[in-house]
Amino acid sequence: MSGIKASIAPVPTANDFLDIVLSKTQRKTPTVVHPGWKITRIRSFYSRKVMFTKDTFNEKLDAILSDFPIMDNLHPFISSLLNVLYDKNHYKLALGQLNTARHLIEQVAKDYVRLIKFGDSLYRCKQLKRAAMGRMATIMRRQKDPLAYLEQVRQHMSRLPSIDPSTRTLLICGYPNVGKSSFINKVTRADVDVQPYAFTTKSLFVGHMDYKYLRWQVIDTPGILDHPLEEMNTIEMQSITALAHLRSAVLYFMDLSEQCGYTIEAQVQLFNSIKPLFANKPTILAINKIDVMRLDQLDPERAALVRSIVEESEGKVKMVELSTYTEEGVMDVRNLACDTLLASRIETKMKGTKINSVLNRVHVAQPKARDDVERKPFVPEAIASGERKKFDLNDPERRRTEKDEQEENGGAGVFNIDLKRNYMLENDEWKYDVIPEIHEGKNIADFVDPDILEKLEALEREEEKLEAEGFYGDSDDEGSMLDEEEEAIRSAAAAIRSRQERAKALSQDKNKNKHLSQVPRKFQNRTLSQMAERMTAIGVDPSSVMARAELLAKAKGLSGKRKRGGDEDDEEQMDEVDSEEAWEDEAEESMDVDEDEDAGSSRRKARKSNEGSRAIVSSGVTTRLRSSTTALTNKSGGRISARAGPARVPARDRSSMGLRNSEQRDKSIRLHELSIRDRNREAKAGESDRKIKEKKPKWLFAGKRGKGTASHR
Amino acid sequence: MPQNEYIEEHQRRHGKRLDHEERMRKRAAREVHKASAVAQKTIGLKAKMLNKKRRAEKIQMKKTLKAHEERDVKKATTSSDPDTALPTYLLDREGQKDAKALSSAVKERRKDKAARYSVPLPQVRGIAEDEAFKVIKTGKRKQKGWKRMVTKPTFVGESFTRKPPKLERFVRPMGLRYKKAHITHPELKASFNLPIVSVKKNPQSPLYTQLGVLTKGTIIEVNVSELGMTTTTGKVVWGKYAQVTNNPENDGCVNGVLLMSS
Ligand SMILES: Nc1nc2c(ncn2[C@@H]2O[C@H](COP(=O)(O)OP(=O)(O)O)[C@@H](O)[C@H]2O)c(=O)[nH]1
Ligand SMILES: [Mg+2]
Repeated sequence: MSGIKASIAPVPTANDFLDIVLSKTQRKTPTVVHPGWKITRIRSFYSRKVMFTKDTFNEKLDAILSDFPIMDNLHPFISSLLNVLYDKNHYKLALGQLNTARHLIEQVAKDYVRLIKFGDSLYRCKQLKRAAMGRMATIMRRQKDPLAYLEQVRQHMSRLPSIDPSTRTLLICGYPNVGKSSFINKVTRADVDVQPYAFTTKSLFVGHMDYKYLRWQVIDTPGILDHPLEEMNTIEMQSITALAHLRSAVLYFMDLSEQCGYTIEAQVQLFNSIKPLFANKPTILAINKIDVMRLDQLDPERAALVRSIVEESEGKVKMVELSTYTEEGVMDVRNLACDTLLASRIETKMKGTKINSVLNRVHVAQPKARDDVERKPFVPEAIASGERKKFDLNDPERRRTEKDEQEENGGAGVFNIDLKRNYMLENDEWKYDVIPEIHEGKNIADFVDPDILEKLEALEREEEKLEAEGFYGDSDDEGSMLDEEEEAIRSAAAAIRSRQERAKALSQDKNKNKHLSQVPRKFQNRTLSQMAERMTAIGVDPSSVMARAELLAKAKGLSGKRKRGGDEDDEEQMDEVDSEEAWEDEAEESMDVDEDEDAGSSRRKARKSNEGSRAIVSSGVTTRLRSSTTALTNKSGGRISARAGPARVPARDRSSMGLRNSEQRDKSIRLHELSIRDRNREAKAGESDRKIKEKKPKWLFAGKRGKGTASHR
Repeated sequence: MPQNEYIEEHQRRHGKRLDHEERMRKRAAREVHKASAVAQKTIGLKAKMLNKKRRAEKIQMKKTLKAHEERDVKKATTSSDPDTALPTYLLDREGQKDAKALSSAVKERRKDKAARYSVPLPQVRGIAEDEAFKVIKTGKRKQKGWKRMVTKPTFVGESFTRKPPKLERFVRPMGLRYKKAHITHPELKASFNLPIVSVKKNPQSPLYTQLGVLTKGTIIEVNVSELGMTTTTGKVVWGKYAQVTNNPENDGCVNGVLLMSS
């Protein structure tokens, strides 16, 4: 038993429906197709369109079908109200037609998708798609009338008053013009139109009111005329529906003044003819317009006729008089109606079987007395005896309040009462001490420690004790006691520490310099003297290694060289040794295929060519050499490597060609450096820098071949 | 909570806005400008549709205007139905009109006679075999190509049973078989969905006729018993010829026109 949906989506007209669906197909399916495509692709392109259109139709029609309520599933009242208003058959037919349209469209889509499978060209597939959509459109266009009808129903339905069929309801009925709408306007906020002619109210109106902290629903109905049910029109049928299906209190309104245009006899007659609808409902006979005509003022015959209603009902119908004009008795009528309805609802509930399941669970606890002591509620003496004076503003002896003080001194906003006066502190002098909340950037509340003084005292006592024991006494006497031994230890420790520091820095540097290019070890410039230095530094005696190196150098036939460079100092000699050694090595390597006898002469030749320029020579010990003379490794297993240099040396040094002497050469270098200085300072690109003249050459990016994924371009 | 006809109720109680009429008039006057703005802005398919709609509207409007104008213009009273009786010397004009009608009737009859031997679609486009038939490769190695599939819609009689695959040279797929056709009765100007009885003749070739291929221009026999037609002797006609007027392979249905002469 569900109600009507609060808001049903608008139902488009048939033409709009088509536009919506077809433009959705156009928007949501691909639109580009080429006759050159594989036929299967073309077919699926078009069958997709057909299927998509079908789906959209389906979805839209489904939405409509599910939005509109199914009359049989509604509450009988709502169902028959809708029947009265929209005609159940018509309504069902309209929905049924949409449903069949949906099935037909599905069928068409199925057929045409099957036909498209046999399409042998783009043209044929397209024609079939076109035909399919055309047929769907035709089916939909035939639904013009059901759609229009449903849209009207929707609009009307959205304006129906929301009547809750199961809540407490007062139902007002009677002849037209007897003052029903006037009454509902008086008791609720429903703003129903009141006019002095019949059928002002053409449909049900609902209003709400509160009584006994409960929410009541009052329903105003259109007037009913006294004729058979078949002859009643839609307006009257709404009242009858409400009377028939709502469990409510019925207020039957009568107008004894006959201002309404209907005689009292007719009104009584109507009551009698619709009486079956009042069965099992508390009924009130409300006699309206008593400002004009009361029951007492009526001639006895007709009064008896009216009273007969009450008498015949054997107490089920209660009669009250009211006037909505003077508002006399309006509230009485309302209260009586509500009370009787409430009573009858409770009664029916009590009669039903459901109540038992509730009553079984109800239990009222009554505590048992555990002893004879009487425990009365406590009332303070002063109050019980009535001694306490009541507060009186004008009493001169009453206690002065802070508020009084404030008023005396100019009132709120001008004078503020002294809040600090009533502080409860150890010492009253502290009351007005200024305590900053924040002191030196710190919230002092964080540092408040109630035991701080005790702690401080304890600390001081401990300090005193330590001093007395001489704990701090003779620290400065020992300063001069450092002896030599200790000195040595310290210096060693310092050295270790500094070494650690350096190692640390080095390793950190390693991390730092990861992205920088590093000269390979092979090309690093290292000399024998450097090695010796390092060895001494780590505490190894290098003398034997050096001696061996010299020996080796001599063995390689470098003695002549030494004679030549006699005035040079040792280290330079060593350099030369290394360089020569390396050179030799290089030469040997390059002449690997040749016989060994030639090596010497070729070596000499190479040396000659290199004269004048200081040879930059590669590492002295190559693998091959080492394999023959293992003695070249030192104690620690490291390689005795000398200065590194390029593996290949040009046959002629062109940098010095055409220059008369070294002065001229220096000058040329200086001039060159000068010429590039400005440019270098501004970090400009020079001739030798890599340059891409055109980033996007036309030939690479233009043409028919698209972006160019082909690897051969 | 507003309920029932609350808008009308409000208007009844408080009236409309004072400038309501003015606003309505202005809105109506603006409408054309708005429509024009929309018409100028739309492009593509939307524009096409809009233009079509506008064109139809304009034609309708012109027609109604013309109708109104015609009503307004005072025409010289025609002699067709004069209020008073015509003098005898003027009667022959009437006769002339009749004569014209007579001659057109004769012409009509002549045309009818010719129509006996003509069909609505006297000429059709030729359909090559490789358009109508698809070669199906058969054999274990798919090297044989003697089997054909008909790619046009066909009519296949109810009693037809397929030959064994080895002997079946022409396959008519189930998806392209039709049993019914939408036939228009040219005099009643109404169409009926009638069952096809047989294919009388396919103008393309006798082979197509044999296979029951339905192409444009094909003469088919349809069951017209639903229409309740009778011969001059009073017998009920149940089979009648009709010509296919559409391309069934494009439209997914068979449309035709009844040949009244048959
Ligand atoms: N004198 C008098 N007139 C009343 C009273 N109640 C309603 N009327 C008038 O009766 C007419 C019809 O009232 P209305 O509420 O529209 O009756 P409805 O058709 O039953 O809803 C209006 O002109 C009211 O002014 C009443 O208590 N005294
Ligand atoms: Mg009313």
